Amino acid sequence: MSQGDIQLVELVKRYKDVVAVGGIDLHIPPGEFFTMLGPSGCGKTTTLRLIAGFERPDGGAILLDGVDVSRTPAHRRRVNTVFQSYALFPHKSVVDNVGFGLRYQRTTKEEARRRVAEAMALVRLEGYESRRPSQLSGGQQQRVALARALVLEPPVLLLDEPLGALDARLRLDLQVELKRIQEQLGITFVYVTHDQDEALTMSDRVAVMRDGHVEQCAEPRELYEDPSTAFVANFLGASNLIPVGVSPNGSGSRLRLGSFELHADQGAHGLGDACLAMIRPENVRLFAHGETGENRVPGMVEEVVYLGFHHEVRVRLATGTVIKVDVPNDDERDDHEQGDPVSVHLPARHLRILRADEDEADDDADGDDVPPTAPAPQHAGAQAP
Amino acid sequence: MSAATTTRPAPAAVARVSLRERLSNPWGKPRFLALTTWVYIGWSLIPVLLAIRFAFNSGRSRTSLQGWSLRWFTQDPTLSVLHDPTLLQALKHSLVLAVIVMLVATPVGTALALGMRRWTGRGSGVANIMLLLPLVTPELVFAVGMFLLFTTAFGFIGLGTTAQAIGQVTFTLSWVVLIVRGRLVTIGRDVEEAAADLGAPPHEVVRRVLVPLLIPAMAASLLVSFALSIDDFVVSQYLASGSDTTTVPMRIYSQARGGPTPALNALATIMLVVSLLALLLAYFVFKALTRGEKGASAIQQLATVDAGGA
Repeated sequence: MSQGDIQLVELVKRYKDVVAVGGIDLHIPPGEFFTMLGPSGCGKTTTLRLIAGFERPDGGAILLDGVDVSRTPAHRRRVNTVFQSYALFPHKSVVDNVGFGLRYQRTTKEEARRRVAEAMALVRLEGYESRRPSQLSGGQQQRVALARALVLEPPVLLLDEPLGALDARLRLDLQVELKRIQEQLGITFVYVTHDQDEALTMSDRVAVMRDGHVEQCAEPRELYEDPSTAFVANFLGASNLIPVGVSPNGSGSRLRLGSFELHADQGAHGLGDACLAMIRPENVRLFAHGETGENRVPGMVEEVVYLGFHHEVRVRLATGTVIKVDVPNDDERDDHEQGDPVSVHLPARHLRILRADEDEADDDADGDDVPPTAPAPQHAGAQAP
Repeated sequence: MSAATTTRPAPAAVARVSLRERLSNPWGKPRFLALTTWVYIGWSLIPVLLAIRFAFNSGRSRTSLQGWSLRWFTQDPTLSVLHDPTLLQALKHSLVLAVIVMLVATPVGTALALGMRRWTGRGSGVANIMLLLPLVTPELVFAVGMFLLFTTAFGFIGLGTTAQAIGQVTFTLSWVVLIVRGRLVTIGRDVEEAAADLGAPPHEVVRRVLVPLLIPAMAASLLVSFALSIDDFVVSQYLASGSDTTTVPMRIYSQARGGPTPALNALATIMLVVSLLALLLAYFVFKALTRGEKGASAIQQLATVDAGGA
């Protein structure tokens, strides 16, 4: 499979005064499972619709296998789309839905029948050929939508939150299935979602988007372990963001947190003095009060929330910052109770230093009950939705 | 449940509920609402039922009951609907006109609704509202204007069946656009995008996806425009050219001042039955064609259909 190479060059889309996509540059090599992840309104769906040809870009180019297709109408682009709403044709049976597009590819009747049957088998829908879409469940309808696109053997498949309307259990099953199909066919998948778990489990690479631009584009592991901005750290998983003063120290850096001094393995070149130290709750360790050592900060347990496989413990540090700590329920640790004094260990190799982002506070992911993130000095704990 | 039966509340407690409490009980049956509704329905139906009753009068009077017969439909050798050539001609002309109107208004209105959906730029909002203006324009004003037009600028067309058809199509179009547009909204844009995405060029999207999905709305439009045309008096009256372009409402109106017989009631009854049948057919056709679809689209559409028949 050498086909299915997508390149977005300086892609811009405006709606009147609102910039939906603000100059995106992306390269998606053939056969990649590429995900655009972001909160609603970040431009991910608009970008997908631009690639599909439903919208016309206001600037930039969309290269499909090296050819600019940004002025080609949707019906002549060799990409196919799976819609969040399924968008099945309610007046046609399942086979007629799946075979719809084959009429526009010069296929013989015999070949069309064979390919429809193959597509039906690929999405495991044999036996439902003569049903109407309204007689299928949501998951089955989504499979029909998938088969309808895949039967055309496109080099690129675009998926716009395809699992958004399904319940959690079915979503997991279909995630596995989508990944299997993508690996089996080896075609490029461009997947849009606001669900971080979906993005992390399925994708080869993820672009985290925000306000019409790409915040960070990397493999899931890098994105999670080494986010380049506070927004990415917050959007993917839970994170503690602690405002600190930074100065370089050999290959690592020295962090000033109130009267305490911490060490981080990561260097902080060109990040300025006021930064955010990021650490995942699962990397923080709690010890008995009084224990000393490198990167230990005293604190007091404020709240303990039982979450099944682990406890989430909220600890207020002596500097006033509240951080979240995941404590596994493996019988080997002491139970923490509200009001307990503890010593918090922030391991140097897990501390990441991020630029303090001025406008971070007013646009956290969904604006729900997430506490303000970066500049708010007293509350540094934050969790992605 | 079992607790209630074992403790068995004293019947006296039930009886002691005051009338006032029973009337103001928010969980009770809406008796007052039901009553007013039925009073209104009765009030609005009684004149119609009376008119129908006299269509079956055996005497010549339209005011006093004189037994039952089919005299004014078929039996009377000169005055019945069947044997009075002026009444029969009016009935024929009404039906011909209605068929022409529905066959023209439906496709044109559907095309208009499809076009309006594509047009989103400057002026489309105003045009959308203007399109529905005929629904509220006084028909008389519209008819007078049409009359002037066909006697002056469009004098080559002149008054007569063509003018009547054009006039009726003009105001019926608004209804067709309303019905089809409602359906287009429920169809949604994503099926169109899906069809284009699968390689269908624009005309194929219309042919293979939109038109099949619009058939229920088009069927409803056909029958609504039929009913509207049959019911129309003002436009037909102004644009008529002579006795052979007289419609049923016009004939009834003019004869009511001469020597009215129950034959007029018989004619009106026939028209009523024809319009009712048209609307019933619209209802069932629409229901049959949208069976199995999700959402309240059928009910939504039928609200429009009913309004059209009113």
